[in-house]
Amino acid sequence: MTSAQPFFVGWAAKIPKPLRAFLAAVCVIMTVGFAGAAVLVGATQADPDGGRFRFDIGPQNLEGTVIGGAYPALWVTKGTEAIPAGKVILLNGNGKTGVQDRVQPLAGKAVAVRGILMERGSLRMLQLGNGKQGLAAIEGDAAAIPQAEPLGRWRLSGEICDGRCAAGAMRPGTGLAHKACANLCIAGGQPPVFVSAAPVEGESFFLMTGPAGEALSPEILRHTAEPVTLDGALTRIGNLTVLAVDATGLRRR
Amino acid sequence: MSVRYIPVQWNRNKWFYDGVLLAAAILYIALFLYVAPPLADHARPVDAPIWRARAFGTCAYLMLTVILLIGPLARLDSRFLPLLYNRRHFGVLTFFIAIGHALFVLDWYFAFSRTPMLEALLSSNTAFGHVVGFPFEALGILALLVMAVMAFTSHDFWLSFLGPKLWKRLHLLVYAGYLAATGHLAFGAWLDQATVGLTLLLFGGAGAVAVLHVLAAVKERRMTSTASPDDDWVPVCPPMEIPDKRGRIVVLSPDERVAVFRNGDTLAAVANACAHQNGPLGEGKIVGGCITCPWHGFGYRMEDGRSPPPFTEMIPTYRLRLTDGMLFIHGKANPPGTYQEPVRLMEGGMT
Ligand code: HEM
Ligand code: FES
Repeated sequence: MTSAQPFFVGWAAKIPKPLRAFLAAVCVIMTVGFAGAAVLVGATQADPDGGRFRFDIGPQNLEGTVIGGAYPALWVTKGTEAIPAGKVILLNGNGKTGVQDRVQPLAGKAVAVRGILMERGSLRMLQLGNGKQGLAAIEGDAAAIPQAEPLGRWRLSGEICDGRCAAGAMRPGTGLAHKACANLCIAGGQPPVFVSAAPVEGESFFLMTGPAGEALSPEILRHTAEPVTLDGALTRIGNLTVLAVDATGLRRR
Repeated sequence: MSVRYIPVQWNRNKWFYDGVLLAAAILYIALFLYVAPPLADHARPVDAPIWRARAFGTCAYLMLTVILLIGPLARLDSRFLPLLYNRRHFGVLTFFIAIGHALFVLDWYFAFSRTPMLEALLSSNTAFGHVVGFPFEALGILALLVMAVMAFTSHDFWLSFLGPKLWKRLHLLVYAGYLAATGHLAFGAWLDQATVGLTLLLFGGAGAVAVLHVLAAVKERRMTSTASPDDDWVPVCPPMEIPDKRGRIVVLSPDERVAVFRNGDTLAAVANACAHQNGPLGEGKIVGGCITCPWHGFGYRMEDGRSPPPFTEMIPTYRLRLTDGMLFIHGKANPPGTYQEPVRLMEGGMT
């Protein structure tokens, strides 16, 4: 410090002239810096590259047979343009709550459902509407569910996601920042989905279950959103591919 | 020493300072929300609540970074000092913006669930052993709690209630808060997507804070004379090294600093800590014959460390000695307000 340096008592009413110019420059630099930072950080955000709700095509009215299990699906016998007959579509509920309670009692039965399609590439789900309008048993025999076709054991690399958010409930709906949210969804009963880094048998999205088709173990769910490699058995039911895994082969990459 | 609560008055400069802060923060958020999206040009947009959370979160982090830059900048160049004195409003504004961030996140990622929101926040990711996948939200909560404590105790009332030492110590927590916020950003959003913007914010921000603190510490070490405590007489410097009407800080021990002032041919030493709020008197100046604190302008006479009437503040004085052109200080303080004959330089000066 030298005698010549301006001295300013904090928050005295008068600021010496040279200091005033300096502080004005600091104010301008700070404001411009903030503006630049906002545009830079904002505009360089990664594309969420996610799915979407198909509100644009309206609610889908379908009929078919319920495929029961830890994460239920529907074998469509009477479909729409977007979800034609002969497809299997995963069912999920509003928010972060699955539809097991509603759907499981109807496993193997003929039902009519109404819901909103969510889709991200080949990953498609139906968000069931509430009440009887969303899901109801119907008269008549249930059509037979297609035979499950085993595809053997595979080692896959990718990410364990919550299928609902990955399919378009949220953008971003995958990734580390979204991990806690994904855990909440899966814990609430929404279907976990494995997003494979490379396609296997033409498919990159796999519904995940435990080794015997049960819900995923907490041990595996600790690794949601992380880049992992795991071993599992692939099974195809119609257009839906299911990955049955246990925790033994799971490695973080 | 007075423990009265002496509020510091508002004035135009403070209003201006707060106005600039608010304008910069609003500009940041407005540009992030309305100008950045078309530039980002995503096929399908990021959810609005998350976009808002990102705007508020990065704004809070940037502001916290600037807050921590002001301290070392002021030590490196005293012209930044005015920014230091009113940093508290900066901190409180940052706290509110961080709350906004947390609420946007909570009401989206942790909503729509049967699990209550706060329980969901605390329980949904417990992978504390993971580096990738770490529950970075916990670090955000920690940062927010630190900011809350600091914002609530930011008022002068708390400063006088807790005493300047404890208050200062409490407010050093800001470093813990910044560390937590940095971890929150690094293990969360940045590990997820190391975009150019986030990378610059993280490494540029935290890096600048670290580098400037090191530079300021180096400079401070060069500028101050450090003594070993059991020496009776401690060398300071040749008297003319102290600029006229200015002071030099001598560190007797980590807790005891002395300000040695020169007023023309007169030299005197007082404690460095102002009786008002521990302002650094050694960075002050002699104005109207009194050592004047740079923080709020309290004045003390050189010879007895007393504020001139009607004021009653007192600070300790120290003995000085001039031997062979070198100024020495006695390591033991006189009680506050004790008269101490100043050292006078001989006719013609001793350079
Ligand atoms: C209760 C407290 C907090 C919670 C629950 C929380 C949660 C989150 C979450 C979930 C994200 C990721 C958002 C995303 O990109 O998808 C995030 C990002 C971020 N948070 Fe926080 N946060 C909290 C407090 C804070 C505080 C106090 C600060 C800073 C001072 C902060 C700064 C940031 C920054 C800079 C980001 C990166 C923005 C981005 O996502 O691109 N957060 N936070
Ligand atoms: S600390 Fe307020 S005047 Fe010195």
